[in-house]
Amino acid sequence: MRILAAVTITTAIVTSVTSTALAQKVEVDTVTLDNGMTFLLVPRDDQPNTIAAGWLAKVGSVNERPGITGISHFFEHMMFKGTNTIGTRDAKRDADYRAQQKGVRDEINMLTWTDQYGRYFRGEIDDPWNPVNDTPKLKELRAELKTLMDRQQGKAFGDEIAKLKTELAQVGPDSEGAKETTERITAKIASLEAEQSAGASIVKDEFDQVYTKAGGSGMNAFTSHDLTFFFINVPSNKFELWAWMESDRLNDSVFREFYSERDVVHEERRLRTESTPTGTFQEQFDSMFWISSGYSWPVIGWSSDLNSYTIEESQRYWDLYYRPNNLVGIIVGDFNAADIKPVIREYFGRLKSGAQQPPPVITLEHKQVAEMRMKAEVEAQPSVEIRWHAVPFRHRDSYALDVMSSILNGRTGRLYKTMVEGKQIASNAGARTDIRKYAGAFEISAETKGDATPDQLEAAIDEEIKRLQTELVTDRELQKVKNQNAAEQYRRLQSNFFLMIQLAFLESMGGWEEINEENAKIQAVTAADVQRVAQTYFKNENRAVATYLRKQSSGASRGGVAATVADDPEFARLPAAMQPMVRQAIEKLQLETDSAKLKEALARMDQQGDMTPSPMKPAVDYIRRKIEERIQQLDVAAK
Amino acid sequence: MRTMTRLTLTFAAAATLATALATTLATTLAATAAIPPRPEDLKFAPLAFTPPEAKDYRHTLKDGTPVYMAPSKEFPLVTISMSFKGGSYLDPADSPGLASMTGSLMRSGGTTSLKPADLDEELDFLATRVGVQVRDTMSSATLNTLTSNLETSMDLFFDVVRNPGFDQGRLDVQKGEAIESMKQRNDSADSIIDREWSSMLYGSDHHEARQPTQASIEAITQDSLRAMHAKIFHPGNAIIAVSGDFDPSNMMARLDKAFEGWQRGSPNQDPPAPTVQVTPGVYHVAKDIPQGKVFIGLRGIKRDDPDFFPMLMMNDILGGGGFTSRIMQSVRSNEGLAYSAGSRSNANPWYPGEFRALFQSKNATVALALKLIDDEFHRIRRESVTEAELETAKNSFVETFPQNFASKEAMLGIFVSDEMTRRPDGYWQTFREKVMAVKPEDIQRVANKYLDPKKMAVMVVGNWDEIYQGNDRASMKDFFNGDVTHLPLRDPLTLEPIK
Repeated sequence: MRILAAVTITTAIVTSVTSTALAQKVEVDTVTLDNGMTFLLVPRDDQPNTIAAGWLAKVGSVNERPGITGISHFFEHMMFKGTNTIGTRDAKRDADYRAQQKGVRDEINMLTWTDQYGRYFRGEIDDPWNPVNDTPKLKELRAELKTLMDRQQGKAFGDEIAKLKTELAQVGPDSEGAKETTERITAKIASLEAEQSAGASIVKDEFDQVYTKAGGSGMNAFTSHDLTFFFINVPSNKFELWAWMESDRLNDSVFREFYSERDVVHEERRLRTESTPTGTFQEQFDSMFWISSGYSWPVIGWSSDLNSYTIEESQRYWDLYYRPNNLVGIIVGDFNAADIKPVIREYFGRLKSGAQQPPPVITLEHKQVAEMRMKAEVEAQPSVEIRWHAVPFRHRDSYALDVMSSILNGRTGRLYKTMVEGKQIASNAGARTDIRKYAGAFEISAETKGDATPDQLEAAIDEEIKRLQTELVTDRELQKVKNQNAAEQYRRLQSNFFLMIQLAFLESMGGWEEINEENAKIQAVTAADVQRVAQTYFKNENRAVATYLRKQSSGASRGGVAATVADDPEFARLPAAMQPMVRQAIEKLQLETDSAKLKEALARMDQQGDMTPSPMKPAVDYIRRKIEERIQQLDVAAK
Repeated sequence: MRTMTRLTLTFAAAATLATALATTLATTLAATAAIPPRPEDLKFAPLAFTPPEAKDYRHTLKDGTPVYMAPSKEFPLVTISMSFKGGSYLDPADSPGLASMTGSLMRSGGTTSLKPADLDEELDFLATRVGVQVRDTMSSATLNTLTSNLETSMDLFFDVVRNPGFDQGRLDVQKGEAIESMKQRNDSADSIIDREWSSMLYGSDHHEARQPTQASIEAITQDSLRAMHAKIFHPGNAIIAVSGDFDPSNMMARLDKAFEGWQRGSPNQDPPAPTVQVTPGVYHVAKDIPQGKVFIGLRGIKRDDPDFFPMLMMNDILGGGGFTSRIMQSVRSNEGLAYSAGSRSNANPWYPGEFRALFQSKNATVALALKLIDDEFHRIRRESVTEAELETAKNSFVETFPQNFASKEAMLGIFVSDEMTRRPDGYWQTFREKVMAVKPEDIQRVANKYLDPKKMAVMVVGNWDEIYQGNDRASMKDFFNGDVTHLPLRDPLTLEPIK
């Protein structure tokens, strides 16, 4: 990147420190092909021998609908499975396997959506998709699908061949139609043996291998609400390889390993969401916060949808969103634009435009009219998260909101000064704007310190909000943020890869040009603007509050059951034979979050009180006391 | 005809030849006709790359402190990074966490002449970044500033590095933060397995595993911080790297001035080697989550071991090479049992590192995934790897090699780390040759030498009953006769086992 213009855009001098905010323009060479695909080229000479290259599809979870949530992300996985050239040694045979697999899976889906969902609705099974709940027919189909997937990989022929040979041996020579039967079985065996000796039709992960061998590194992709982006670093002499590989998968993608890859995505969902301390709760908070817009479901999708994607639905998605008129290539690094433009034209020029334009996103976020609250018990530090509905990308208020978040953040920011250092109730606190293509949010969150409660954090945040609404921020605070923003204009351009990612995000939301325009808009923000947006957006009926309390689960922390019980002399005095039973009861108790249920249990114990055999009495009394403590704990938390 | 060179494109309509402009500007010819049917048919211009030599960038201050410099005018920013020999391995046995706290207090605790809040305010207003970090075996102080503020920023930076204030109020805040983050030690499976694994592999007293407790954090005083600061942050331990938009001779003079009167102590000793050995077997820590998180491994080799390059290639083929590696294909791609699965082989400069395979899978398929990985261990010991696999692994290292030096900051980082860890001269000059010299039989040999599954420890964090049960294809009974050692969870604040 070359510095095109270093312009002094502000020279505000507020203290003894002179600050000049400079602007650096990112010089982008834009190429648009006849088929509508655009390329953003940013040549840089300072990092030799390497190019960061990627392309984005302007599609993300916001473009989905119930029933296919997560399909954008699933597509991202599918894109690495190859084409009719890459990833197979016999495209025709591979296509046959895929067609057979599709037939079986469609049947599995239909049976699940009807019969299994029905059993689930009636309470007969706990999960319609879990194979342990399969009917005999489903079990059979699932085994058949597995066999077909194995055969695609050149496995699982032996059993069936052996079975047919046994059958053949049992055909009586004189029985009716013996000749025909023998011929039929023999032919079947021959065809299976031929298939077996042809080997796998699939070449595993060939797409990755080609790049790896050529020095491609960091190849990956991500999916977000508004975009899907595929990227890699290649040595500067291998640009044409990138063009070959990427245009091939855009020209000729096949949905290979469609059914086994969803298991990988399920594992990804377990890893990212279900196995993390707050993952499932964050998911719930998001879906509560976004009322009507496509941001209300998780990018990875709901589990039932993940199981249900069909080839037809995927093909429709592909035809709409993965056509060149919806794609943008981004290349940053050591190259000469004149060198690569003809390569781009030759390779990507072959992509056919989509028959239809991608449909617009129609549903706007519905206006919130009442405060929303979520109370969760988690294995994590107690914390509070407050989120207000705010504004989308390039909204005129987004810059003042951005400045406001910076005034709150950092070690010299207001949240640290008042909550971490002053009141010492928070171990950390921060604000952020979450700006998306079609909507946005502003969020402040904090974690407790010591005995402080999330309620105290919330009150302290409310005070800061009030201050922003009633007093102007100081000139010094404002100038500091502007200085930092100006320096950031340079810092964020230093890495090829990071610059590419920023261009991708900006372009997906509405225009890469924002990278050159944002700083001037930030520099223009006034103290009055900050006050105005604080008054406009920080209203209680416009917010959702998540409160996280630490779940007192088994041995999860010092306050956990195992520790409290072990440290408790009263517990130690109970008869040894009863201790395991009591420990178990306490563990269950700590997981109960509904104090009404506990009160009921207590009432029942009171009724039975007189009937308790005397050896059991100490244990029952101990549990009763623990139930009372837990009720109190829950009632305090509920206040 | 398409002719690609790094700097110039010759695109004459019917041109048949492009001229090589210089020896470094490789030029090649490529077919114009159609897009070739397969990527292997593409021809590429050779990428001539000679790794830079440290000596071309190395200078010394008057007091002998090494300074690596690489100026660039691209952005009006300067980065000064000072590395120091010393880290948490210097913590006294009864004070784990002291060295690390010294680093964070140097940055947050003001200086002897500037109150913490005033220092922070000055730096933030200048948009200058100062960071101080004390890690296991190395420490660093880094400045990143606009060139226009270089003078003031350097004054503040060297004040922080030389005269930290260790303000008591900020010390209390940092202690509180450290204790709050300690409370979260058992919240995620990752932090549990990292802690228990290091303890087992290095011994709980070794700095790779040793962790602070509430008591050791509370015992930290301004005096103990000052003593640790004096031990690590002096010129005798220091190597400097400067990159960005600056004038080299002015910079040298400026650094000499900043070093005036700074006592040059003797360098710290090398980090100590671990003394324990891994006891093979299956270990489990309870955590109620839908997936089991698993590490499998044992002690590895040192960086200067003659087997380093065969191990590097072996690990890449086995599980280090992402999607092309055997473990990823077997566990993720073929069976869909995990989102992440692979292996790593860390060769430490100071003492033998470790080999570790790892994955995370739903409880019912943990045993199956483990079995598939175990099969891969056996296979790479039993059979020679294919030439194709080895070629992919070698090429990937050779072709990505120039990237290590692409950014000036990264290049200087390599020089500094090499000098600090006494890597022999010429290492990078012959790196690619050493990679290319590895043969399939070398890989089989090192796999047999270092990857004996019988000698490995398997650590599992998750719901044992479900994991043990497995599914119809594998269960935990298949490993070490189904024996398991249940490790207790530790109290997050005392690290004592929870009864």
